[in-house]
Amino acid sequence: MRFWRPSHLSREVASDIEGHIERYTADLIAGGIEPDEARRRARMEFGSTAAVAEECREAAGLRWPDEFLRDLRYGTRVLRKSPTFTTAAVATLALCIGANTAIFSVVDAVLLRPLPYPHPERLVTPARYYWGQGESSYNVPQTGRTWEAIRDNATVLDAAVFGYGANKVNFAAGNSVQNVRQERVSTGFFRVLGIPPLMGRGFSATEDSAGGRDVAVVSYALWKHALHSDPAVIGQSIMLRGAPYTVVGVMPAGFQSSSKADLWTPLRPSTTGEGEGSNYTIVARLKPGVTWAQAEGQMEAIGASVLKKTGSDNVGLRLLSFQSGLTKELRTPLLILWAAVGLVLLIGCVNIAGLLLARAAGRTRELATRMALGSGRAALIRQLLAESVLLGLCGGAAGALLGWLGVQALKLLAQDSLNVWQTVALNGRVLGVAAGASMLAGILFGLYPALVASRLEIRAALGEGGRGVAGARNPWPRRLMVAGEVALGMLLLVGAGLLIRTFAYLEGLNPGFDARHVITAQVSLQDARYGTVARVTHLLDQSLERMREMPGVDSAAVALSLPYEQALNVGFRRMDGKHVDTDWQISNFFYITPEFFRVLRIPLLRGRVFTAADNSTANKAAIVSERFVRMYLSGDDPLGRHLDLGGGGLEDKVEIVGVVGDIQQKSGWGEDYGPVAAMPDIYVPAAQTFDQFLQVVHTWFTPSWIVRTSGPPEGVIAGMQRALAAVDPQLPFAGFHSMDDVRYHALAGERFQAALLGALAALALLLAAVGIYGMIANSVAERRRELGIRLALGATVAQAMRAVAWPGVALALAGVAAGSVLAAFASRLLRHIVWGVRPGDPLTFAAVGLCLLAVAAAASFLPALRVARLNAAETLRQE
Amino acid sequence: MAKRIMPPNNSEPARPEAHLLQGTLDMLILKAVSLGPLHGYGVLLRIQQISKDALQIPQGSLYPALYRLEHRGWIAAEWGESENKRKAKYYRLTAAGRRQLESERRDWDRLVGAIADVLEA
Repeated sequence: MRFWRPSHLSREVASDIEGHIERYTADLIAGGIEPDEARRRARMEFGSTAAVAEECREAAGLRWPDEFLRDLRYGTRVLRKSPTFTTAAVATLALCIGANTAIFSVVDAVLLRPLPYPHPERLVTPARYYWGQGESSYNVPQTGRTWEAIRDNATVLDAAVFGYGANKVNFAAGNSVQNVRQERVSTGFFRVLGIPPLMGRGFSATEDSAGGRDVAVVSYALWKHALHSDPAVIGQSIMLRGAPYTVVGVMPAGFQSSSKADLWTPLRPSTTGEGEGSNYTIVARLKPGVTWAQAEGQMEAIGASVLKKTGSDNVGLRLLSFQSGLTKELRTPLLILWAAVGLVLLIGCVNIAGLLLARAAGRTRELATRMALGSGRAALIRQLLAESVLLGLCGGAAGALLGWLGVQALKLLAQDSLNVWQTVALNGRVLGVAAGASMLAGILFGLYPALVASRLEIRAALGEGGRGVAGARNPWPRRLMVAGEVALGMLLLVGAGLLIRTFAYLEGLNPGFDARHVITAQVSLQDARYGTVARVTHLLDQSLERMREMPGVDSAAVALSLPYEQALNVGFRRMDGKHVDTDWQISNFFYITPEFFRVLRIPLLRGRVFTAADNSTANKAAIVSERFVRMYLSGDDPLGRHLDLGGGGLEDKVEIVGVVGDIQQKSGWGEDYGPVAAMPDIYVPAAQTFDQFLQVVHTWFTPSWIVRTSGPPEGVIAGMQRALAAVDPQLPFAGFHSMDDVRYHALAGERFQAALLGALAALALLLAAVGIYGMIANSVAERRRELGIRLALGATVAQAMRAVAWPGVALALAGVAAGSVLAAFASRLLRHIVWGVRPGDPLTFAAVGLCLLAVAAAASFLPALRVARLNAAETLRQE
Repeated sequence: MAKRIMPPNNSEPARPEAHLLQGTLDMLILKAVSLGPLHGYGVLLRIQQISKDALQIPQGSLYPALYRLEHRGWIAAEWGESENKRKAKYYRLTAAGRRQLESERRDWDRLVGAIADVLEA
C-alpha cells in the first residue's frame, strides 16, 4: 500500500527510468554501437522521460494531489508572467471583497448577529402598527398607559420597560467625580434579557415605583474603575446627580443594554409627565411554550383596548422581534449599503470574467499546443480553474486586509451615526463570507472562460498561427458583460448621486443663526439639587453673569437644546384668534435665557425678545418661529395670541410676544420634515417654567451654555469652567463644542451614507472603466492585422482609432440606457432617505450618465492610441 | 514511428512486428514476472525473448503499466541490486496477481478460441 509521498515516489520513478536507459545503453554498446550514439539512441527511443514519469505517478494513484500542486505551480508561473493582468484582477477582487467584508461586518453586527442574550429569538418588543391611506409603519416607543396595559394583561409575556437612551449624569464615589451614562430601566429588565447581575440583584417592584428607594446597578467597567473592584460594594452609597444612591447590583463584564450605559437606575414608569408621551420601550420574553401567534393575538386584544385611532390611520399593537425593533431605523440604510456593495462585487466579477475570457482567447495557441501534446480537455479546464482559484485566493487575502482597514475606518465614521449594538469587528464569520465569496468568484469566473477555451479546434488554432480563431471568436459575451457593468455602475452612481445631493441640500440649508465664534457646553441638571425653577434660574443667572464679565465674551445664554439638535416637542392648543383648537397640536419647544437670540444672532421679525423682566412673577410670555406662524397662525396676527401649553406639562396660558427667524433642527417627528429642517418652535423664558416640568425634561435633555466670543477663543473655555465652578463646584461641563461641530454632528448619518455610497459608486465607475479599457485594448491587439491592412490601404490613424474605440462608446451608451431604466425603478427605494431632490431627479440622471459616458470614452480611446503606434508594414510582415 | 527495442545482437532486418492488442500488455507483464522477479528492463527483454522478438513493447508504456499493476496489488516491488551493481526495483507476482493472470489467461483463451472458430467456419 502506498501513501501520499510524492517526492519519494518521484525519486523511485526517476530511478526506474534512468536504470532502464542505462541498461539499454550498456546493451547497445555491447552490441557494437559507439557509446555516444548508444546513449543518444537509448534516450531517443525511450521518449519523454518526464511524460512517462508523469504517467507512472498517475498510474500509482497520485493523480489529484500531485496534479493539483503542479497546476498551482504552473498557474503561479503563468500569472507572474503577465503582471498587468494579474495586478488588475487581484486589485479588482481585493477592492470588491474588501468593501464587502467591511460593510458586511457592520450589517452583521447590527442586523444579523443575534443579540448577546440567552435565547434572543424569544425576545420581542410590542410596537404600534399604523395602517391606512398612507403607508403602514411601526412605532416602537410606547406611552405609560400602553405599558401598564401590557404589564397587567399580557399573560404570555415576561415584560420589562426602559427609558429613552442613556443620559450623561454626574457621578461621585469616594473622591472621584465624573460624568457617566445612566440608563433608566424597570424592575425585571435584567431578568427579561436573561443576564443576572454578577453580584447583588436587579430592581424590586417597590424600588421601581414612585417614592421607592434610590438604588443603582453599575456596569462591570464602572465597578472596576470608579469603585476599584470593591467586593463589598453592594449596599454602599454613591452620589448620582447630587443625591445618594445605594448600589444593589453589579452587571457582568461585557453586558450591554440597548444604550451604552455605565449604570442603571429604576425607570419608575408612570402615566403622567414622561409617561404621557411615547417615551418607553418595552422588551419582553415569550413565556415558555408560548408561540408567536398566541402572543401576537394577545397584543392585538390589548392594543384594541388601549390605543385609539388617530386621524385616518388605523392603529394596533403588534410584536416585532426585539432586534428588529431596536434596529428599525438602521435597517433600510444598511440594506441599501449592503445591496450597493453587492453590486460592486458583481461588477468586479463580471470584470474579471471579461479579463479572463480575453486572456483565454489570447492564449489560444498555448492551449492548442498543449492539447496537441496530449493534454486532456479536463486537464486544461483544471489548469485554467487553478489559475482562477489562485487569483481568487490572492484577491481574497488582499481583500481581507483591505476589509480590516475598512472596518477600522467604518468604526470611526459610524461612531457618530450608528448606534451599533455589538462591536463591529472582522470576526470569523465575516472572514468566512469573504473567503467564500473569493473562492466562489474564482470558480465562477474561471469556469466560463475555461469551457470556452476547451472547445478549441486544435487544428484551426495551430494551423492559422493562432490568428484566425482569436479574430473570429464571438465578441458578444464580453460586450454584454461590459454593457452590464456600465448599467450596474449607472445604478450605483444614481443612488450615490441622489444621496450626495441630499447631503448637499441639507448642508446648504440656511442655519438661521450665525455659528461663527460660538462655543457651547452642556451641563446635566438631572440633579436633586436642581429640582426647582428657582434653583435652576439662580444657577443660570449667576453663571451667565460671570461669563459675560469675562474678557473676550460678547454675550452668553442657556437653552434647553441647540439648533441642529433634536428638540423637545410639546402639545399645545391655540386659544384665541382665527384658529381655536380642541385637539392638541405639536411643536418643538425650548426654554431659553433672554440673551439667546442675541448670542446666536437669530433675527427678531416681529414684537420683542425676552428680558430679565420676564420672570416667574410676570405674565407668561412666548416667542414663536416664522415656521410656527406659517403652520399654525396663517392669516392671523401672531402677537397677542394665546397658547395653552398644558400638553407638555406646562399647564398654562402663554402670550406670544415676538416672532423670530427659523433655525434648522434635527427633526424627531413629522413625516414631512427631512432629517434636518426648520421646524415650528415655541420659546419660553427659563424663569417661567415649572418645577415638575424641569425635573422631567432634564432627565431627557441636557441644557447648553452658549457663549459668543468677541476676541480669540483662547481662555474662554477655562473661563467658562471657572465661572460655573464659582456658582456650583460640583457641576462639571460635559464636552465643549463649537456650533460648527454641533452642525457637523447633526448631519453625521447623512454624511456617512453619502460618503460610503459615493465611494462604492466611484469604485463601480473605476471597475467599469477598467472593463471597457480592457475590452478595447484587447480588440486592438486582436485586430492588429486588420488595422494594419486598413492603414496600408490609406485609412488615417484617426479613422482606425475610431473604428476600434467605437464599440466601447456604443456599449457604454447601451449600458447607460439600461442602467437608467434600472435606476428609475430602484431609486424609488430611496424615497425615504432622499430630501431636497426627487428620486427620479433628471439632473442627477443626466449628470451621472454624462459622467459615465465621458469615462467610457476615455477608457475606449486611451487603448485605441496604440493604433497610432502600429507600423502597417511591420504588422503585415509578421503575418 | 513506434519506438522499439532493438535486440543487441540482432543485425538482421527486423521481422514484421505483431501489434499488441489493447489490454494484453498487463497480461504479458504478469506472465513475465511470474517466472521470477525482474526489473523493468528485464521484463521488456523477457517478453521479447519469449515471443522471439515478435512482440515489441513501446518502452514508454511499460513503466506506467508496472506502476498501475503495483498500485492494484498484482505485483510487488522490492529494491535489489542488479547485475551492474546498481540498485533497481525488482517486480514479482503477488498471490492476487497470480489469480489475475489465470483469469486473464482464461479470458484470452476463450477469446482466441472464439475468434479461431469464427475464422475456421
